Amino acid sequence: MVDFPDRISPLDAVAEPGVFGTDTNSPKVFLSENLCGSLIQVQAWPDTISVVEKALETLTKLAVPKAPETAHSENVSIIQTGPGRWLIDAEVEGLEDKLRSKISAKNGAVTGLTHARVVVEVKGPKAAWVLASGIAIDFSLKAFPVGTSQVSHHHEIGVTIHRTSEESFDLYVFTSFARGIWHWITTASSEVGYAVS
Amino acid sequence: MKRAVAPHLGTIKMRLTCPFCGERDHQEFTYRGDASAKRPAIENDSIEDHRAYVFDRANPDGDHRELWNHTSGCRMHVVVTRNTTTHKVTGCEPVGPWAKTMKARS
Repeated sequence: MVDFPDRISPLDAVAEPGVFGTDTNSPKVFLSENLCGSLIQVQAWPDTISVVEKALETLTKLAVPKAPETAHSENVSIIQTGPGRWLIDAEVEGLEDKLRSKISAKNGAVTGLTHARVVVEVKGPKAAWVLASGIAIDFSLKAFPVGTSQVSHHHEIGVTIHRTSEESFDLYVFTSFARGIWHWITTASSEVGYAVS
Repeated sequence: MKRAVAPHLGTIKMRLTCPFCGERDHQEFTYRGDASAKRPAIENDSIEDHRAYVFDRANPDGDHRELWNHTSGCRMHVVVTRNTTTHKVTGCEPVGPWAKTMKARS
């Protein structure tokens, strides 16, 4: 586990633990902030994608996803967010530097996004229902299976959604818009009751 | 005075099938103009050719090829074939530097 001192989140002031909404006896949505170790974006160029994939595979020991899917190990998740573009959520110290030394500017770009994103975990029997109320994508299991990801938006705020199980989702949102997204999710969840931890 | 409104505009929701992300609402995309407009070569110093590239559009009644960017998704440019009369979308192909790579790897 990587030690990150003084971790400060924009949600600290608003994500008050407790149970809220109309049904506080049996909330249907559970919200929490998923404090990830480091987030790194890797972008390959059209003619160097194989080189970058190989570098990623060597460093993460994972088969790099070739579609909007994800790959996982105990401490690394790779989410493909575009052609030749991956978001790496890792609890591995120094991975960003290793990626930089392995992927030169000739072959791609490595960007540290640890402080640029907040990860909100939304789970529970009504998680998909709440997300579908504001994000115009199909949340059915057939269209959005477990282990896949979708890049979309909520009222112009970009959001990368990773379905980690049938009833749980990780939302990667811009740090500066995290409170806006949080406000929407809590308001949308009020109807069915939600718990914050 | 009552404003004239095209009857389909209130009901049809335009969906575009991004070659990478799949079927999405058109609000995730940004319109980038007529895909058939070809920029004159840089060495072409004809003002008339450049004026035509910037301003002249065919405005066809029927299929129209247009550039869209998936701004809230994978950020790829796509060429959409859309019927300007029925609003029906019949094509959504990748374009730009990634098109060839995606085709080769599919």
